Amino acid sequence: MQKILPINYIEKINKDYFIIYIKNKELALKSKPGQFFELLPMGNYKGLLRKPISIYNIENDTIGFMIKKIGYGTKYLSQLKVGDFIDFLGPLGNSFNIPMNQKVMLISGGIGYAPLFYLSKELKNKHNSVIWIHGGRSEKDIFDSNIMNYTNDGSYGKKGFVTSNLEKILEVEKIEKVFTCGPQIMMKEISKITQKKEINTEVSLESYMACGIGVCKGCSVLIKKNNENVYKTVCKDGPIFNSKEVVWDE
Amino acid sequence: MNNIETKLGKLQFQNPITVASGTFGYEYSDYVDFNKLGAIVTKTITKHPKIGNKPPRLFETSGGLLNSIGLQNPGLENFIKDELPKYRGFSTNLIISFSGSSISEFKEILLRLEDEEGIDGYEINVSCPNVENEGLAFGVDAKIVNKLTGELSKLTTRELTIKLSPNVTDIKEIAKAAEDGGADSLSLINTLLGMAIDWKTGKIYFKRGLAGYSGPVIKPVALNLVYQVAKTVNIPIMAMGGISNWMDALEFIYAGASVVAIGTQNFVNPKITIETINNLQNFLEEKKLTIKNLIGKANMEEK
Ligand SMILES: Cc1cc2nc3c(=O)[nH]c(=O)nc-3n(C[C@H](O)[C@H](O)[C@H](O)COP(=O)(O)OP(=O)(O)OC[C@H]3O[C@@H](n4cnc5c(N)ncnc54)[C@H](O)[C@@H]3O)c2cc1C
Ligand SMILES: Cc1cc2nc3c(=O)[nH]c(=O)nc-3n(C[C@H](O)[C@H](O)[C@H](O)COP(=O)(O)O)c2cc1C
Ligand code: FES
Repeated sequence: MQKILPINYIEKINKDYFIIYIKNKELALKSKPGQFFELLPMGNYKGLLRKPISIYNIENDTIGFMIKKIGYGTKYLSQLKVGDFIDFLGPLGNSFNIPMNQKVMLISGGIGYAPLFYLSKELKNKHNSVIWIHGGRSEKDIFDSNIMNYTNDGSYGKKGFVTSNLEKILEVEKIEKVFTCGPQIMMKEISKITQKKEINTEVSLESYMACGIGVCKGCSVLIKKNNENVYKTVCKDGPIFNSKEVVWDE
Repeated sequence: MNNIETKLGKLQFQNPITVASGTFGYEYSDYVDFNKLGAIVTKTITKHPKIGNKPPRLFETSGGLLNSIGLQNPGLENFIKDELPKYRGFSTNLIISFSGSSISEFKEILLRLEDEEGIDGYEINVSCPNVENEGLAFGVDAKIVNKLTGELSKLTTRELTIKLSPNVTDIKEIAKAAEDGGADSLSLINTLLGMAIDWKTGKIYFKRGLAGYSGPVIKPVALNLVYQVAKTVNIPIMAMGGISNWMDALEFIYAGASVVAIGTQNFVNPKITIETINNLQNFLEEKKLTIKNLIGKANMEEK
């Protein structure tokens, strides 16, 4: 679906991160954890392509997008005000497979936190017990003091990486399923560990996108299907893939 | 509705708006009523499936897009089996784009498609490497374009459009060669060549170095080439290159295009084709103009 909607509310987390909220019942009802929208700011925006942004939260009619300032597009989005219009295309892509009554673990790095937030709520609704490990460069990449946090520089939580103690935690907590979103290298390391332990793992991949609906083949990533490597689109076949299918070293 | 009708060679168009090969697919039927388009042009297919280039495949520059898709496509037979049936049902023109690595392969693909119903025309993508000519693109050599067009035009009564590459010394010469070979129409321009390098590290962004350059930023280049070619040949032109709205479309019609295709802008606004048709229609009605009277009427008059 394509809808032009005004920003309803903006939450500034810190100088790098912010959340844009919009209200639309139809889109909220359709949106599933792991899906994303392609955003195009209206007005003076000088960029060409839309920006893919995950669904961070849904509450009744309200949809939240948590965004990290990276370059022109995300900085432009950060300067918008309540009432400014954004053109939304979505919800796009597939979604996480949500189990019931399981012990699951979420592992996020940096802005990878965003799609896992909505997922965590839906997991709890389906009576799963959820442990969440999050990592960031420093304190400003930490969003919730109630989860297990790591920082590379030790400025908050434990010093190190989300993978530092992962094997042990997976064992002790008897984790049955893992969901992860973050830098490629982090997800690759996690997948190695969970594969060894034979724990079902879903990863949320990123790729440069244009159309967002499976037409241009610009976002293709290499995926293993029946012992053959084929290109699949992150926008339509993904962004969620089983970690076993992903060909990490390309 | 008459003022917006146009023709491309043998084909009658209900309006001049179509889509550029590779930038449009069945997925857009969620956003666009295909029956309303002047034509549908499908993604270039090849004899065998192509898995495409190694990522990254996209890079945005100011007002432009670099792509290195590598003609990822399911191949001729899978296309006929899985995709053609989906497109056949629409009441508008269906133009199939294809490419080959030798003249005989082009012929083979065309003959296979001749067996299939519901196809109104072919767009011949000559930007691919020619294995019989040191891998140089077909489209850079006037003699080869002439020969290819001559061989293909003998085999079909459907609309035959040759899609020209702008990456040549003199596009007029290639255009003439295609016309002399028997092409019914020409389509231009395919993507320009470009590349991206990271100033921080010197790293070349695309694995193959070069990439295809498209989007609003190439419009002036495309406009000039369409204008030049229109003055050189007597066959009609399907124009593309940075067209983002109905005003851009009109500029190309003034430059000499009978039909215009929207490419990269589909990615930005999936409904752009329909919006362009509606806006063009409103403008023509308001000004009491018809497309047919505007084609090639670019001028230097003071108004
Ligand atoms: C499925 C998906 C979900 C995402 N979810 C979020 C989210 O919830 N929050 C968030 O902050 N970010 C998210 N991103 C990343 C976000 O899209 C990029 O950070 C953003 O596009 C950067 O654009 P820019 O103009 O600010 O930076 P630029 O300077 O243009 O680019 C910086 C980097 O961002 C990436 N990028 C740029 N343009 C695109 C594009 N069109 N498509 C994909 N990547 C691009 C490239 O890696 C590029 O090197 C997501 C990306 C994907 C693919
Ligand atoms: C992602 C992408 C894929 C393309 N694939 C093809 C293709 O398969 N065959 C072809 O003839 N042209 C292809 N093109 C070129 C377009 O059809 C068009 O000629 C060019 O992009 C210029 O138009 P635009 O600026 O409106 O996009 C492709 C362009 C893009 C951006
Ligand atoms: S972004 Fe076009 S196919 Fe995924």
